[in-house]
Amino acid sequence: MEIRLSSILLAAALLSGCGWFHRGEKPQNQVVVEEPQPDPSIVEPQVTRRAVTTPRIKAKDVELGAYFGALSIQDFGVNPVYGARLAYHVSEDVFLEGLVATSKAGTTSLEDEFPQITVISNAGRHFTYYDLDLGYNVLPGEIFLGRGRAFNSQLYVTVGMGDVKFAETDQFALNFGVGERLLITDWLAMHLDVRDHVFETSLTGRTKNVDNIEATLGLTTFF
Amino acid sequence: MRRLLASVLLMQALCVDFACAGERLQLVVTQPFLEMRSGPGRGYPVVYVVGRDETVTVLYSRTDWFKVRAPRGQEGWTRREELALTALPSGAAAPIPPYPDFTSHRWEVGGGYGVYNRENLVTAYADYGLTDSIDIEAVVQQAFGTLDNRVVASIGLRHTFIPEWKWFSPTAGIGTAYQHIADKVPPAPLESNNQMAYVSLGARGFITRRFMWRADWRHYVVFNNLNVYEDLEEWKFGLAVFF
Repeated sequence: MEIRLSSILLAAALLSGCGWFHRGEKPQNQVVVEEPQPDPSIVEPQVTRRAVTTPRIKAKDVELGAYFGALSIQDFGVNPVYGARLAYHVSEDVFLEGLVATSKAGTTSLEDEFPQITVISNAGRHFTYYDLDLGYNVLPGEIFLGRGRAFNSQLYVTVGMGDVKFAETDQFALNFGVGERLLITDWLAMHLDVRDHVFETSLTGRTKNVDNIEATLGLTTFF
Repeated sequence: MRRLLASVLLMQALCVDFACAGERLQLVVTQPFLEMRSGPGRGYPVVYVVGRDETVTVLYSRTDWFKVRAPRGQEGWTRREELALTALPSGAAAPIPPYPDFTSHRWEVGGGYGVYNRENLVTAYADYGLTDSIDIEAVVQQAFGTLDNRVVASIGLRHTFIPEWKWFSPTAGIGTAYQHIADKVPPAPLESNNQMAYVSLGARGFITRRFMWRADWRHYVVFNNLNVYEDLEEWKFGLAVFF
């Protein structure tokens, strides 16, 4: 009994001694990591960069549209005319314009009186023209419809030249016009035009300048 | 022709306000105020004023005027010079495009009147500047005579001697052309289509903003199989827009 007690005490003493001998030793497998020291002169950005694009401004200087009206072809009566218009607005005052239109002439009073007489063939009665014009907005302003509505408008004059194909022949023609542009919205406009196409012809027997006046109503879009 | 008109009308019907789509430019007023007018012209009345530090949305432009929308939805037209004084929300200057520089512009489109072979001439042209002084130009023109009508198309190079002279600068050119003759009075021409070559002397000048004038004299040599030397003369004056 005494020997057993001594053995237990000895074992306890040895175990406690092992702890004493290992005191102060470092663990064998431990890795030492040193903390990086930040450079105070460099600031890391906290936001991600993104590409900034500035939206483009759409220019609406071009006007495209169609018109319809009556064309008085001198000596050949008043007839319907259909046309297309393309315009470029250079400034608030000046614009350049191109017109293409077609009509069909009626009969002269001579042909009405004597049906057996034909001044021009049926194919030659097609009256087509193109014009290159310079326009000037003479009177810009507003048109009031009732108390609460106002439409921007411009009274303009045009002068230009082009080709009139009539009686199967192309003729050099000058044209002079006056018109009113009424802007229903900023991109949709209504036009009222009166235009004279002047050219030289000898269709009715003697050479003379003829005036071919048209009055048209048109609709155009700005884009 | 009616089909063309129908197409134009259809395009109009289908035309939508494309400017509505996509992101629009926002600008901050930096001056004491920004005036908004009822129309794109100097005479239209001021209908609204946007104050400093307020933001306007630019919708689109027409000539020198820009349609803008105020923060509370009012819309009006403001002049290019005034809008150019605003700024982006970042503080950078407003990206209002300036007028193209006349002395170094690239594109020209124009038309005019002239005399070709003693016939009235209607001319239209497009021109691209390869450099400030050398342009390539394409011209389509129609001449109206008493004996015949002619359609002439040409392409050539033109040199502007002193492009930095704004109001008047001489030019010279060389190129090739093609003419088609449609007779009006018998007898019919012996050849109705000819290749030609030309030399030209001219001048150009600035008028205002995007507007310019151009004058040109040309001497054509006609290549024919008639065993005769044929040459033609032309002069013309035109107005053009440059980009």
